[in-house]
This record gives sequence, C-alpha cells and structure tokens, in this order.
Amino acid sequence: MSIYIQSASQISMQEPLSEQWMKSPILPTVAFNSPLEPDFKRFILPAESRRMGRLLKRAVAVSLDALQKGGCEMPDAIISGTGLGCVENTEKFLNAVIDNDEECLPPTPFMQSTHNTVSSQIALKLQCHGYNSTYSHRGTSFDSALLDAVMQLQVGRISTALVGGYDEMTPAYFKMLGKLGYWRSDAESDVDSLKKSGINGSVSGGSAVSLLLANSFTENTLCHIDGAEIYSVASLQEMCDFYFEFVQKYLSQNNHVDAVMCGLSGDQENDAVYRRFVQQCCQEADVLWYKHLFGESFCASAYGIYTAACVLKDQKIPPHLFYQSPREVNVVKNILVVNHFQKSDFSLTLLSR
Amino acid sequence: MTDIVITGMGIVSALGRGVEATAERLLKSQPGVGRMRFLQSRHADLPVGEVPYSDEQLRDMLGITPDFAITRTSLLGRLALVEAAEMAHLVDTDHLRVAFVSGTTVGGMEKSERFYHDFLENESKNEYIALHDCGACTDMIANGFAGHISMQTTISTACSSAANALILGADLLRTGRADVVIAGGTECLSKFHLNGFNTLMILDSQPCKPFDKHRQGLNLGEGAAYVVMESAESAARRKVSALCRFSGYANRCDAFHQTASSPEGEGAYLAMTAALKDAGLQPSDIDYVNAHGTGTPNNDESEGHAMMRVFGDRMPMVSSTKAFTGHPTSAAGGLETVISILALTRNFVPANLNFTEKIDSLNFVPVTEVKTNVQLTHVLSNSFGFGGNDSSCIFSKIS
Repeated sequence: MSIYIQSASQISMQEPLSEQWMKSPILPTVAFNSPLEPDFKRFILPAESRRMGRLLKRAVAVSLDALQKGGCEMPDAIISGTGLGCVENTEKFLNAVIDNDEECLPPTPFMQSTHNTVSSQIALKLQCHGYNSTYSHRGTSFDSALLDAVMQLQVGRISTALVGGYDEMTPAYFKMLGKLGYWRSDAESDVDSLKKSGINGSVSGGSAVSLLLANSFTENTLCHIDGAEIYSVASLQEMCDFYFEFVQKYLSQNNHVDAVMCGLSGDQENDAVYRRFVQQCCQEADVLWYKHLFGESFCASAYGIYTAACVLKDQKIPPHLFYQSPREVNVVKNILVVNHFQKSDFSLTLLSR
Repeated sequence: MTDIVITGMGIVSALGRGVEATAERLLKSQPGVGRMRFLQSRHADLPVGEVPYSDEQLRDMLGITPDFAITRTSLLGRLALVEAAEMAHLVDTDHLRVAFVSGTTVGGMEKSERFYHDFLENESKNEYIALHDCGACTDMIANGFAGHISMQTTISTACSSAANALILGADLLRTGRADVVIAGGTECLSKFHLNGFNTLMILDSQPCKPFDKHRQGLNLGEGAAYVVMESAESAARRKVSALCRFSGYANRCDAFHQTASSPEGEGAYLAMTAALKDAGLQPSDIDYVNAHGTGTPNNDESEGHAMMRVFGDRMPMVSSTKAFTGHPTSAAGGLETVISILALTRNFVPANLNFTEKIDSLNFVPVTEVKTNVQLTHVLSNSFGFGGNDSSCIFSKIS
C-alpha cells in the first residue's frame, strides 16, 4: 500500500499554520483553550469571511494551507471528521427556535449548522466535484475520515485526498460536557497535573487539522501510512488481540514499533486504558503524547496523526512529546498512533518514514 | 472481490413498521404523509411524514423501559436494525467481522431542543447530554444488536448520509475490513429541522408534488432503514439468500451552493454517470430511477436536468417516493434503498404521487400510477444533500 501524508496544517492553541510547537510549545494553564487564529485574509476574502463561522474559517485556512504546502491544486476527494459539527451555528439556531418560539428565525445559522458544511464549503471554494464526505462518530470521527481516504487510495479510485478533523468548543457545550466529567479545574490544567494520576477530566481545545494524502511521494512528503484500522472493542483483551492482528498485517517481519503516540489526556480513566495497552502490547516502544499541546476534542486524534507525521519528517522526537523518559536509542523509523474513545471505539494507524 | 449482495433489510417510516407494511402501502399507493401527531411544534399545520408511533410505543416494541435514556432517532434505528439483521439471519456473529455504518444529521436534537435549558441550568436531564451527538445515536442503535459489532462509524452528509453509509460499507467489504456490513440511516423529526427547512422556505403547506410543474416544496419526514451487505461468497457460506446485488455506487459534489443545487445538476450528473461506470452499465441498462425528487422547485428541476444529461431521450421509468414518506433527510437513502430493492425483487414501480403537470424544461413525466408486473433488472437510487453531497447507488437483480 503506497499511501503518503504529503503535507499538513493545523490551527490550535499552538502557533497557527506552523510547526513552531516542536521547538517552543505553548502549554495549557486553563481547562478551556481557544485556538490561536491566523490572519484569515490570506485564504478568505473579507466579504466571504463575514458569512463564515469560526470553525469554517479555520477549516478553510488549514485546507488551503495543506494543499499549498503539498503542491496540489485539486484533490480527488475531500473527507472530514467532526464530532459535533458547527456547534456555534447550531446553538445560534437552537436558541432562536427556543427563545423565539419557532418564529422569525434566521436561515443562515441553520444552513451552516449541518455537519457537512465544512467539507462542502471547502469543495465550493476549490470547485472540487470529487468524492465528498463527513464523519461524525465521537472520538473516531477523524479516524473514520482517514480510513475512508486510505481505502479509496488502496483500491485506486483516487490518487489524492484532503482529510481533516474539525471541532469547535463553545462555552455552553463546554459547560454541558463538564457536567459529564470531561474537564478538570483550571488549577489542575498544567502539564504536570495532566500527568498526575487520580484526576478526572482533561483540558479542552478545538480541532482544525488538514492532511493531504497521496499515492506518490515527493521530497516534501512527511511520512508513509503503513496501515489504518478502526475497531469496536469491549475490553483491553480485544484491543490487544486487534493490535497483534494489526502488526502482523502491517509491520514487516523483524521490525518493531519504535514509538506509540497515545491520546493520553490527563483523564485517569482514559489514560489507564493507554497505560495498560502499552504495558501489554508494546512495552519496548517510546510513549509519546500530544493532547497536552492540543487539548481534548472529539477530533483530537487528528493531532496525533499530525504530530507523528511531523516527527517522522523531522527524524527527531521533541523532548516535550515524551510521556515517559525516552529509551537509550532515539531512532524513530515508525510511530503507531493509538486512539480510543471511552474504551469502545479504538483505532490504530501505523506511520513510517 | 466478487459481487456485493444485500441479504437483509429493515425499515420504519411514515408508511409504518417493516418491509411488508412498506410494500403493501406502496402497492396500494397509500401515502404516509399527513398531520403532525407527536412532534410538538407551532407549525402543526405543515404536513409531515411522521412515523405513526409515539416514543412510548416504540419503546414497547423494543422492550425498552421508560426510565432508560434513549433518543427517538435511536429508537427508530433499532427497529430497522433488528428487522434487517433478522432477515439476513445475522444472529451468530462469532466468526464474522460485522461493521455498522449509520447516517444521521440531527442525532439527538429532538431531545436536546426539549431539554436544552435543563442541560445548562440543572442536573435533571444530564443523561441526554451524552446522547446528543450523531455518534451517540449510532452507539445506542448498535447496543440493540444481538450480535457482535467489530467496527462502527457515523456519516453525516445531510440528506445523502444513508447512501454514503452504503458506499463506505461496500468499500469496507471490498478492502476486506468486514465480512458483513449493516448500513443505512436514521433521523427523527425535530423542531430544529422543521424550522430550519421552514426558514429556507422549502416546505410545502400541502402534500408534496415531486416533479410537478406546480410543486411548492418538500414535506419533512422521519424514519430509519438499514440493509445487510456482504460478498456473494459470504452469503453462500452463511446459507442466506441474496435479495439483489449492490452493483455500483458513486459520491460526487455539486460544489455550487451550501443549500441549493446547480441548475444543470452537475453533482447529480457526475454521481449517476460514475455509479454507472462503477457498475459497468450503460444508461440504457437502467430500468427505473428512484429519484431524490424532494418536491422543491430547485431539486426537481436540477435532478431532472441531470437525468436528461445522463439518459438523453431514453429516460427510464422515474418516480420519487417522497410523497409516501416525506423527506426523512439522513434516512432517505436508506428508505429509498429498501424501496428500490422492493421494486426490483417484486417487479413493480411505485407511483410518483400528486403529479399533475410536467415541468416545462424537462422531457419526461414520472410514473404516476403504480406499475405492477414490470421486469426490472437495474434500479438506480439518487440521494442528494445540502452542500452538494450527491450520491447514486445501483441495485441489480441476481442474474
């Protein structure tokens, strides 16, 4: 399978449209983290901008940036993941329906509330008539989009795909998820606290990550995708069974996983699953994390793939990505990106140089 | 990879519960669109394609107690899933990798819009917060499946969601990631959706009139439908009979406007031609098109032009069944897959109800009376969504 990540772009609490986080990361100090926004004028005309929600602007910016970096004008497919869709517009319309008792409602927030707004607006912007889809499946929304692209590249139906993960967090949704134990207190939102066990919840961030996938490589290519799978699991044992099946299928013989990029977020229940998985399946590998730089969101796994791709391109693991002290030999030929959502949806993606 | 076949289907819609009830209503040309009974809305005068059961009745059918938190979208989905799995004898899943792909757009909104103030101001409805998102609806449906699911995901491409679920499902089979796929979609009526479409001024205050010159808009509907898909070998191995082949599919984007379709139906044209190519068929091979045909001035003209570009002056039989079911948005592709397969396997073409006069710029009229004893070999089903998310699926008789 010859599938490559050609280029990538992100907007998050880190320096936007940049890999500055590899050298000088911005670390969270509070639980609610808003993304740092770039100058959108480079990508969007002011007249267009006024009609777009914030998430849409971020999505268009990272998509165009990734295409530009990858030297691609027109992808064959546009596929997005979004756990919650365009929440800002959804809330705007929902509040209007409730408060105005279904009268005198504005159409624009509704038009831009559907989950597929992002994929279709990118298509509209590019005039791209190719395959266009959107996945909304909680913590594996992005992983589903990636899998779709990988399958279509695999069967040879497409040769390039723009794959993104997009989510925004509003104060109201933050409050609602907070009731379900998603977030910790501001006082416990620093990186040291995130590593401490025994605390529930993590810190929130948005998602805006775009990757250009292609079936050929150039000198700028970030990495190769060796394999990608999603599973539904009911136990740690099933995760391990799937892991061994996965490595047998995608890892060449006599090879091993150098590093695992885990969705460790600070939430003790979430993190315990990764700890036990690593202990049982890939104890020899370096354990890396990324949610302390990008926060938790339904599409946060997109940053896991993005971070791993950047590391493989750079051939150096920045010290702040190690969750535990690194092994002696710091060579990184491949990285396994591991993601689970509430121990039920589970994904494995193997990336290599 | 040989043929992908459909071995089971399940449906619930304004036409009632189950494949047999659906077939009967279609054959008798009895529409399900009517007065709003369960949705509490100021716009109760708008006709809708409402499933004729309350939440309580749906819970009873499924044996779900009143205190268990579940959304209507998931209740509808469970009913359809259970029927599809039964028909496909999908009971013992021990040595099977079963994937579940479901399409939905508003997810748990019908509960969220009722409990939204509670979500923010008190603790009384917290269990519904976690059920709001699309993925949660899929999880809740999957939990009602007796067997084991080894992979699941949710597609949200507005009104083409269910069709795109079938397309992803076929790729999961083609790349060997699943042995059996349950795919389709579910959606329930909500004030959010009803008012959304109402602000766009595309709801008809009367029963919708797809492809009619004087059509005024769509009637919103609700429902769920899933099909069970697998390779022909898998069906043979499991000793289940195949209803039909899923012979071709394509997803294309109109890239014209966030909510409107291009006048020439570019996305629709590209989807239909690419699906034909995928199936290895010529336009003249298609015997019947189950059109998206929502009844909005924009969709029907655009889709009609796209069909004229594909089929020229050899237009196959065409009907939209939206006047039966209303437009169940994300579930539409699922409902219409089941309807297309019923037509194919029971040799009939359902009527395009409420049609009186041809659209001036189109060269065809839809089938206005149910046609029985017609031999259909290939049926094409269109599902088009907001954002220009256009998909076409082709179902073919087992040769």
